[in-house]
Amino acid sequence: MSLAKKNSAEEGSVLVRDILRNLQKDFRVEFRSRFAVNIAVSFAGIVTISISLTAGGAPFPVKVQSILLWVVLFFSAMNGLAHIFVREEDQGTSLFLRITRSADSIYISKFIFNQIFMMIIGTVVTPLFVFFVGVDVIHVLHFIMSVIAGGFSIAASTTPLAAMAAKAGGKGSLFTIISFPILLPVLWISISSTAGALNEARPESGTVIFLLAFSGFITAISILLFRFIWLEN
Amino acid sequence: MSGIRYTLRVQDLAKKFNSTLLFKSISFSVETGGSLCVTGPNGSGKSTLLKILAGIMNPTGGAVSLAAAADIPPCDWMNHIGYTGPLVNPYDDLTGLENIQFVLKSGNYASRLDSLLRQFNLTQHRDKLVKHYSSGMKQRLRLILAVLNDPPVLILDEPGTNLDAGGREALSSFLDLARKQKIIVLATNEPGEEKLCGGGIRLG
Amino acid sequence: MKHVINIAMKSVYVLMPVTIVMAFLWAPPAELLGDYSRIIYFHVPLAWVSVLAFVVSGILSVIFLLDKKNRFSGLDGKSFNSAAIGLAFTVCTVMTGSIWAKLSWGSFWNWDPRETSIVFILLIYIAYFCLQAALAGKSSRGKIGSSYLIVAMATLPFFVFLIPRIVWSLHPETIINVNRTIYMDDQMWITLLTALISFSVLYVYLFNLMNRIMVLKHRIGEHPHAAD
Repeated sequence: MSLAKKNSAEEGSVLVRDILRNLQKDFRVEFRSRFAVNIAVSFAGIVTISISLTAGGAPFPVKVQSILLWVVLFFSAMNGLAHIFVREEDQGTSLFLRITRSADSIYISKFIFNQIFMMIIGTVVTPLFVFFVGVDVIHVLHFIMSVIAGGFSIAASTTPLAAMAAKAGGKGSLFTIISFPILLPVLWISISSTAGALNEARPESGTVIFLLAFSGFITAISILLFRFIWLEN
Repeated sequence: MSGIRYTLRVQDLAKKFNSTLLFKSISFSVETGGSLCVTGPNGSGKSTLLKILAGIMNPTGGAVSLAAAADIPPCDWMNHIGYTGPLVNPYDDLTGLENIQFVLKSGNYASRLDSLLRQFNLTQHRDKLVKHYSSGMKQRLRLILAVLNDPPVLILDEPGTNLDAGGREALSSFLDLARKQKIIVLATNEPGEEKLCGGGIRLG
Repeated sequence: MKHVINIAMKSVYVLMPVTIVMAFLWAPPAELLGDYSRIIYFHVPLAWVSVLAFVVSGILSVIFLLDKKNRFSGLDGKSFNSAAIGLAFTVCTVMTGSIWAKLSWGSFWNWDPRETSIVFILLIYIAYFCLQAALAGKSSRGKIGSSYLIVAMATLPFFVFLIPRIVWSLHPETIINVNRTIYMDDQMWITLLTALISFSVLYVYLFNLMNRIMVLKHRIGEHPHAAD
């Protein structure tokens, strides 16, 4: 009994160590090329500034502001979120990773990487957008919560789909095509939640809870499914 | 090296891709201290057989088992098997040493790492990015990565690819030393490497 | 046993005409909507069969992934077939639904929460067929497709139950009520029930047919001369 306990504790610490080493590796590789982050941040910057420029200082309605914010976030993040898996296939390193680490540790580390990536995009894009488009945030806490929860859900639900798209050969827009329908409700709820933070009326917290529940649920299922996607047959 | 004896047993193995049969009814068993050489023309399924042995691919029929005192479950195989092949590519954007550290299981192998680097003549290149490696250097790195954690089973797919005379020398002397304490399975068409093995299978 | 199932499936030849006759002639028109209300006997069963087909494809996918020894053959193909039927029925559901919407609310489409949900579901399963097309010829096709179907099935409850509620709380002015408060008498209930049963049998019939076609195609592919 005590031996079994010790074993599972040991396994747990091995898993945590493996995850940390995967993350260290992913960040090293990413920051030597800076491909995903550069593209995403420049895309976000260009789009935000062009929106502001073409609007010419005229304020948008609240709903439009919130739609634009999420469109910018979504498209900036899309390339980078798939990149973490597509890169392994493109550079032919997936077999190396496959024989070195367990599927669980790989999935969890890629998931954490995507969450951090999404947070970086969120923290760069949101202030930029608020500043250039002239968004008047009334419920600041709810606004921040909505952006965080929406970003979390986007990263959580695209990570398993990125793995699938990468295994399917990562052809062009396949990732966007398969993830957009799953993300549509997330975006929809995020947009109404953010719009709620820009309105005078007291915003509802149900939307944030929905987003967190949805992403938790998808994550739980994808951890179970990942080994089937990742391992060859 | 502890005295645990491992057995790799293959029973009636078959592999089909879509509807083409690659091979069928392959059976053998190797114990620690034994070595096996898989030969055959290109496309005869050498690499596939080795991938199945390494637990990377599932066979269409038959079974592979790896046993020490008791059967080792397939999910645990990667801790006991050192596999490398032409498709195992180390990370281009990491240095040789960083790739090695990524694979290294614990700090106890530090001295072993130094001797491996010396043996395969990579010590002075270890801090270069792998994308600046020549193909021979990459192959040496592959071999180091496969044997690094001192796995009791070594499954090497075309280990001599791209190696120069010195590299082949280092490989054969390494295998010569290691084969008494390990199970070694090689896929090769090099007569020099075939001679290193105790037994052989010919596919195709 | 096989014989019984066969007869049960053949019963669709009787059940479908009976349903149509009951829906158009036997059931009385509803008070509010008049004869328009007869579309309910097609719309509701179509929606039910869509969900049924998607759930079946999800469950078959779960079995496919867990079935390491290959005891059941062609489960990935079967779940594909079920998803295809589900998609076709969803399209029919959307069409009957929007006709009904036009008749009772005045416009074909007005983003009522249920309409929104069904569009999401439709898009998710269309994406599944894109994924399958991209994976054509790869050995990982079954596994990846099945994984996607499981994710898709897992999101269904969010669309069917949760979104209509959440959006309700956000948009209390949404025009949804007539169909829920509709008064139905016994004859109408019996007709609806018959329709549900006969559409379910129709699903089983189609599903079985598609699976048999798949097996035959596979056999022809394996032995090209077996067909002569």
